[in-house]
Amino acid sequence: MDAATRDPLSDRRNRGGAIAGSALLAARFLPVWLATAVLTVVAAIVAPDALGHTSWSYVLPLTSVLAVSALGQMLVVMHGGIDLSTPGVISFGGNLIAGVSTGQNHRLAIAIVACLGLGVLVGFANGVLVGLLRLNPLIVTLAVGQIVLAWSSKYSREAVTNNPYVPSDLSSWATGKQLGISAVFWTGAAITIVVALVLRYSTPGRRFQAVGANPRAAWMAGLRVRTHVVLAYTAAGALYAIAAVLLGGVTNSIDPQFGAAYLLAPIAAVVIGGASLAGGLASATSTWVAALALTFLTQMLVTMGLSAAMQYVVFGAAILAGMVVSGDRVAAVLGRWMRPARSAPRAAGG
Amino acid sequence: MRRNDLRLVVLMVVSAAAIALVAAGSGAASGKHATRTQASGPSGVVGKGKGTIGKGGGFGEKYQAPVSTLAHALFKATLLPSNKMARNISLAALGRSTKTVNYDLALKCWKNNGCSTGTGGKYTVAYVEGFGENVFRQMSKMEFILDALTYPSIGKIIYMSAHSDLNQAIADFKSVIAQHVSAIVTYPDFGDAMIPVFQQATKAGIPVSTYAWGYVTGPGTNYTTVVGEDTCKLGKAFAYVMNTQVKSGNIAFLGGFPGNPLSAGWQTCEQKALKPSIHVVANDPTNWDPSKVQGIVSGILAKTPDLKGLSYEDAEFMAQGGYAAYKAANIPYQGVFTYRTDEAGMGCLYDKLKDPKLKVFYYTAGNPQIRVALTADMMKLAGAKIPPEIVFPIQLQNAAVRDMCVKGYPSQASATSLIPLSLLHRMYP
Repeated sequence: MDAATRDPLSDRRNRGGAIAGSALLAARFLPVWLATAVLTVVAAIVAPDALGHTSWSYVLPLTSVLAVSALGQMLVVMHGGIDLSTPGVISFGGNLIAGVSTGQNHRLAIAIVACLGLGVLVGFANGVLVGLLRLNPLIVTLAVGQIVLAWSSKYSREAVTNNPYVPSDLSSWATGKQLGISAVFWTGAAITIVVALVLRYSTPGRRFQAVGANPRAAWMAGLRVRTHVVLAYTAAGALYAIAAVLLGGVTNSIDPQFGAAYLLAPIAAVVIGGASLAGGLASATSTWVAALALTFLTQMLVTMGLSAAMQYVVFGAAILAGMVVSGDRVAAVLGRWMRPARSAPRAAGG
Repeated sequence: MRRNDLRLVVLMVVSAAAIALVAAGSGAASGKHATRTQASGPSGVVGKGKGTIGKGGGFGEKYQAPVSTLAHALFKATLLPSNKMARNISLAALGRSTKTVNYDLALKCWKNNGCSTGTGGKYTVAYVEGFGENVFRQMSKMEFILDALTYPSIGKIIYMSAHSDLNQAIADFKSVIAQHVSAIVTYPDFGDAMIPVFQQATKAGIPVSTYAWGYVTGPGTNYTTVVGEDTCKLGKAFAYVMNTQVKSGNIAFLGGFPGNPLSAGWQTCEQKALKPSIHVVANDPTNWDPSKVQGIVSGILAKTPDLKGLSYEDAEFMAQGGYAAYKAANIPYQGVFTYRTDEAGMGCLYDKLKDPKLKVFYYTAGNPQIRVALTADMMKLAGAKIPPEIVFPIQLQNAAVRDMCVKGYPSQASATSLIPLSLLHRMYP
């Protein structure tokens, strides 16, 4: 079709559609950024100490740990799944770091490999059970997680309790700072950027997104849907293992409850970051921001000196508020508003 | 993805798993010292010193214990309850440390959360708790088992942990009641929420005792007895230290699970006994979780970087989580710290830092108190009248005078535990 035969109305409709699509995408992921900005302003007013260096020295590294585990969860959620084995992998991974290394620096590399291998293995098991055998992910990953936690507890008792400390090279690296900020933070940020770039700009990444957005259409286009689901859980397991390494460096030692806090927090970060639990598009950077908001909120409540009960109340209310204005809901509302109104059908004849 | 690509992925995954397993296996095998395993021995620590304290007996017990055992568990052999019957029960329980038990059986019982003792005894005893996932609780579990194995009349031992779930804790209690156990020892992590099941057990004729000052309303009525130190006096002892060492400034309290009786006990009394010039700027629960300790301490330091002191139950969790928070914030780990427990890890950190501005005062973790609780139950079954409280006196120790870093003990282990060291090494190789 040349310029003479192009329909200007069609061009305008195409441009309008592109703008509408961009608006919907922004609407899905923008709220968490705005909410985090609001939280920062609130903190500046009611708890300015929470914005000080001491607070950030804790918040930023822990944000990265939560963000990396949330990225793993995000990959699973993009395919309409869920993964409750996160605490098990982080726990056992952390115990492997301490137990395999026995606290010695020259064994740190093999310990990290063992941790990553565990994450990949557990993720692959989840992927096979969910992606190939089509079992319910909520139940399956919970069961797998419990099994992993049981083994973690046994291994901890036999190999870690007597020497729960990670090698000094890992803890030194984790407490080291570049540009005044923890190395753990930079690592988490780098992982987030890599995941974002791979999903957005690489062919495998786009395929991954396509399968999550519409599995049936992806299948009809020739993509192997079940293989992508397996890959999603496997990659998630690897990311949980990385989170275990980072957390081990931050805490310097592995205790029996290592990783216990990472059951629902990663899911909360993913959903508040704009992803839908039904599957579809998600944003790595928005997930990271959501992790930052959750970690900072927790720290802010402690800094404010609220009683434990009030901390739980405020935190729960903040999560609820976050869910009400989550990107997924905003995008749905905006999508309905932007849909053109259908005209009434003409009567037959006359 | 093509079939070949899928095969490659599977190969990579299997390889990764194999590497992980080999590495884990080699890690577990290396760095471990060959230990001579001792099949049996005394059920508690019996030192070389001579002499015993106490005399007489009754209800199947001898009210006598070696001075060395008492000094090991209580810091001083004379730090026994003032109430006569409470003292006799304590001497009976701690005196059982001289009896020989089978360590292989004890270890098997500990790993399997229960066992048959092989004596054919008519009694079944249960240790049921709301939370058991730290070294203190696991060591208490072994202390319970060791004490139970000294009774030929105990034929079966049961252990249950509710993993921090209240509903599970209640269900576990009801389960052991339904199994017609003879006696129950527990730590009531959920406080008065356990009263209904305590009453149910008591009504069924099952004595229930708690330890580590697991106070639930109605000792002597709702349940048999509570064993431990007087936590109010513990709080006052902490306050004395703060008043004399800190003198003025900001301090903080940390506790365990919200509402647990141990934390509530000492915090209330310490708060009241502090001088007006000392301000408690924070009082936060930590769920006895070191990573949560790190977050809480970090938040407190953000608001109060010049924190002068801190009171908490668990010394080792501060050595892990608390120290990590100070380090991340670039704030020197200095101040006056008062702890209820005496884990070796905190002592070793204290020795390593060698900082005169770091002052640590501690009490015993009290693992052996569970032996007193079980013996109280057994004496109740024999017809004894058990006092509603078995209270040990408080005497804080100064880390500068009495070293907590006891050689051979795992960092999370309390050196006042009566578990023989050879057995402890088999528990935590």
